Amino acid sequence: MSMVYVNMFLAFIMSLMGLLVYRSHLMSSLLCLEGMMLSLFIMMTVTILNNHFTLASMTPIILLVFAACEAALGLSLLVMVSNTYGTDYVQNLNLLQC
Amino acid sequence: MNLFASFMLTSMLMLLLPIIMSNTQLYKNNLYPHYVKTTISYAFAISMIPAMMFVSSGQETIVSNWHWLSIQTLKLSLSFKLDYFSIIFIPVALFVTWSIMEFSMWYMHTDPYINRFFKYLLMFLITMMILVTANNLFQLFIGWEGVGIMSFLLIGWWYGRADANTAALQAILYNRIGDVGFITAMAWFLANMNAWDFQQIFITQHKNLNIPLLGLLLAATGKSAQFGLHPWLPSAMEGPTPVSALLHSSTMVVAGVFLLIRFHPLMEQNKTMQTLTLCLGAITTLFTAICALTQNDIKKIVAFSTSSQLGLMIVTIGINQPYLAFLHICTHAFFKAMLFMCSGSIIHSLNDEQDIRKMGGLYKPMPFTTSSLIIGSLALTGMPFLTGFYSKDLIIETANTSYTNAWALSVTLIATSLTAAYSTRIMFFALLGQPRFNSLSPINENNPHLINSIKRLLVGSIFAGYLISHNIPPTTIPQMTMPHYLKLTALAMTITGFILALELNLAAKNLKFKYPSNLFKFSNLLGYFPTVMHRLPSTMSLTMSQKSASMLLDMIWLESVLPKSISHFQMKMSTIVSNQKGLVKLYFLSFMITLTLSLLLLSFHE
Repeated sequence: MSMVYVNMFLAFIMSLMGLLVYRSHLMSSLLCLEGMMLSLFIMMTVTILNNHFTLASMTPIILLVFAACEAALGLSLLVMVSNTYGTDYVQNLNLLQC
Repeated sequence: MNLFASFMLTSMLMLLLPIIMSNTQLYKNNLYPHYVKTTISYAFAISMIPAMMFVSSGQETIVSNWHWLSIQTLKLSLSFKLDYFSIIFIPVALFVTWSIMEFSMWYMHTDPYINRFFKYLLMFLITMMILVTANNLFQLFIGWEGVGIMSFLLIGWWYGRADANTAALQAILYNRIGDVGFITAMAWFLANMNAWDFQQIFITQHKNLNIPLLGLLLAATGKSAQFGLHPWLPSAMEGPTPVSALLHSSTMVVAGVFLLIRFHPLMEQNKTMQTLTLCLGAITTLFTAICALTQNDIKKIVAFSTSSQLGLMIVTIGINQPYLAFLHICTHAFFKAMLFMCSGSIIHSLNDEQDIRKMGGLYKPMPFTTSSLIIGSLALTGMPFLTGFYSKDLIIETANTSYTNAWALSVTLIATSLTAAYSTRIMFFALLGQPRFNSLSPINENNPHLINSIKRLLVGSIFAGYLISHNIPPTTIPQMTMPHYLKLTALAMTITGFILALELNLAAKNLKFKYPSNLFKFSNLLGYFPTVMHRLPSTMSLTMSQKSASMLLDMIWLESVLPKSISHFQMKMSTIVSNQKGLVKLYFLSFMITLTLSLLLLSFHE
């Protein structure tokens, strides 16, 4: 595998780690979610361009659309939590009451 | 061309007349019992003619009247076999029934349904005749079932009494188990010999006859109350005394023995079956004699005595002496019926008291009954030259001198002495000593019906053995020579039994009865057989069927396994899963650890 792919795969793994292991702010996991989406987008585009797989050229756009939806969802959840507690600390999420 | 068959058939057809008349006015008036009794006495007289013809010339007849149907290759017809056994049994049975009918005219005098009682007794007699004269197994089965049904109706005569209903049902159930054996034998004969006629069965050669003979033995066990299917006979004493006298002493219970006697050509060759019958009869006779020793109801003691004598008859078949067994059937009918009638006389005189502990000192108020009871008991135990001697003593002699099972023989001898013992017990408690009954019962045996009927059977008990055994055609030769101690064995055992029982009764007469010993309890509760066998198998099978049908099939397979288990599982899981504590970081961490672990482990896969 060439270096480019390894690089981007590593970026994906970093973001995944950041998503799963975070300390107190919910925002950081959302940001890492965006990072995962970004690395996926770049990897997909580079692969398509390098292999001249023109029929699949629309997939990065679709990926962008879905990523935007999920970002919006995540932000709305964050806003809900923030409305109740004032901050977005994860320790607040212990009673299933938002 | 003589009138042999005509007379016999006339005598049997005459018995049907009162049944046919039961739709007319004759049935409604109170002369009907007298009419029935006279019919039977005439039938007896007419049947004596063919009997004497047989005695003088040895003529046997088979009458096949009416071809009923043919099922492929099996021909069923109405066929009467008038041979040695039927010709001698029919007059004996008719004579005993005549006396019993006359006795019931006195005993059942106050019963409002006495006409129906006589009709039932007559129907029983007719089915017994059918059984005895049958030439094919189908007709015999008709008679067999008929006597079973009439036994049920007659035992449950006083149907308001719960015990009587239970006893009648018990009789039917136990007889049914025997009928399974009978039907097995019929099916085997049909499949392998293509016939239900005796002639064809006895002619065709067959190697292994164990299955049908076992079936017939089972049938005899059920009908003749051998060990294993015996409890119905003592319970059948719930019926009126004439019923006990007719059915359960002389006629019905010998049907099983009669069946085995009919098949004696087949049993002659089969040593296994003979050993089986011998052991079955031996254990029956000993067991019932032991049970008879401690009973307190006079009818039950006589019932067990019947059972013991039936065991003796089966033992006789087991040593390959069918003719001796038949002779014992005929002689036994006389004195056993008389014993029952004497007990009936005692019971009625003491105002329906059946417990021998409450009788006593009856030899002064009832001399005739006393003497006939004593003579009957002596005939039963085989006192020389009374009736029982000619059959019972011959049986014991033959058993002693034949090459047979020593255990069965010794057990039979012990049972012989026990016979004397319980007979002494009856006589001691009922007749001797001081009275123990209420003083207000009017003891009266003056009725001519009672006196005449017992008198006839008394004469029979004394002379019938001699008359029959000196007039029958020669059959198997009895053993003529034997050592003197073998010849005197039966007499010695009987005298031992008498003396022992008398001494024990006299010695223990006024002693206090503290606690029953284990042996007493065993004997009094009929060897625990009814207690165990009436409760344990039924509870077990009912519980097992309930568990398997209701619990296993319905509750578990149809309800529990899929529907209830799925719903239960889902609800449990949902409560567990919904029980979140919001530990988001922990969940994410565990997710990552799982990922890493799986990557590490699976990357080393070659």
